[in-house]
Amino acid sequence: MSHEIDSRVYTKILHTSNAWYNEALSRAKVRDLSGAAECLRKSLRYNKRNINARNLLGLVYFEMGETVSALREWVISKNFQSENNIAGEYLDEIQKNRARLESINQTIKKYNQALLYCQQDSKDLAVIQLKKVLSLNPKMVKGHQLLALLYLEEGNLEQAAKALKNAEKIDANNLTTLRYKNEIQERTKATGGNSKKKDENLVSYRSGNETIIRPTTSFKETSTGSTILNIAIGLVLGVLITCFLVVPGVKQSAKSNAKDEVLKANDSLSSKNQEVKSLESKVKDLESQLDEQKNSADSADSRVASFEQLLEAYIAFEDGDVTTAGDALANVNPEHLDETTKAIYDEINESVNSEYLASLYQEAYKNYNNGNYAQAIPDFEKIVQMDESYRDGNAIYYLAQSYRKNNDEENAKTYYQKVVDLYPNTERASTAQKYLSQMGADTETEE
Amino acid sequence: MIDFEEELKKFQPSLEVEEAEDAIYSQDLTDMTDILKEMLKDMKGAM
Repeated sequence: MSHEIDSRVYTKILHTSNAWYNEALSRAKVRDLSGAAECLRKSLRYNKRNINARNLLGLVYFEMGETVSALREWVISKNFQSENNIAGEYLDEIQKNRARLESINQTIKKYNQALLYCQQDSKDLAVIQLKKVLSLNPKMVKGHQLLALLYLEEGNLEQAAKALKNAEKIDANNLTTLRYKNEIQERTKATGGNSKKKDENLVSYRSGNETIIRPTTSFKETSTGSTILNIAIGLVLGVLITCFLVVPGVKQSAKSNAKDEVLKANDSLSSKNQEVKSLESKVKDLESQLDEQKNSADSADSRVASFEQLLEAYIAFEDGDVTTAGDALANVNPEHLDETTKAIYDEINESVNSEYLASLYQEAYKNYNNGNYAQAIPDFEKIVQMDESYRDGNAIYYLAQSYRKNNDEENAKTYYQKVVDLYPNTERASTAQKYLSQMGADTETEE
Repeated sequence: MIDFEEELKKFQPSLEVEEAEDAIYSQDLTDMTDILKEMLKDMKGAM
């Protein structure tokens, strides 16, 4: 008995669920979508497995722009009955078109953003955002309703009415829509007279989605004089604007450009200067290297010359030509010689010197006796340079005599003085002193 | 006269696609048949 009662109750529940489904279907057919949704929710409260009711609820949500709610109902429906279920087709249809799903999601995000703007009292931004949302998803009923509410708050009853009309096209008997419509009617009645008065002074027309309202009165010129005057004023204003706004701007721009150019030029100049400095230092380095090379070359040349002279001296010495050997040795710089050649030089020099000096003295003395003082002087000079005390001072004495007799008293005095200094208390010294005294008193007197 | 602030409170954010999964799992699916089964179960337990 109890089992029979249970079965009857269960059947009754299923029937009630179906009855609400039928009611919802009737309402959906006349586009009372919010009413249909309410009936379907009740139907599912009785029987959650009423697949038709759940699928229709998803469809109603989808039509009202509540896509995620629709997806939720279809997924649950598919879960209860995986075979022969139209919810599967709906889900496939949405999943196939990922771009469409993404676009829907962006629309939802924008709607939520608009709602946030409303809560933050940024109504203008909210209106702009909602217009974008509704251009992407014109079926979003609550978007139209929120836009209508914002227009109502602004007092823009015409736009509010239009938004509600759009909402009504989707959901005919929505309570919120009806309440807002009623509000508009009441406000219109209250401000009916004033709005008519306003309308007389205003002209409104549509440009795209915007309604433009402008005054009916227009400015009219009454005379040619005033036209000319206005043109003149315009010209003066134009000139003034050019002088005080445009020209300073252009000047400023030119100045800043010039500054930039100067800075660039300075940068370039400083970098060039640095390059010049580095190049100059390179030139100096190269010059010093060149000098070093030259010096080493000169040194090498002089070394070669010293070796050549030494060789010539050696050959002359072997041939017995002491004079040539001595001349050549005099041109040798001993500093340019290494140890071996220095030893050769010293040996030859020692042997040659005595013979060379003797030969040179003989030649010089011969010239002196023959009265060839000019020829005797260089030879005596050589001897004195090599050995000042040669022949106990005779060389230096005859050099002084040669200079005196050759009328070169200055040099004569120098060498007479040396004789006096080097060989004091000798006959040569007293003679030298005598000539010195004579040249000091009377330069005309000769021996 | 409609109060804007009060009306605004009635508008709730729409569910975003990322929230769909949570919405499905948090859906209360209890229906009358569940309640009936529960009642029968309790009755049988009492007997």
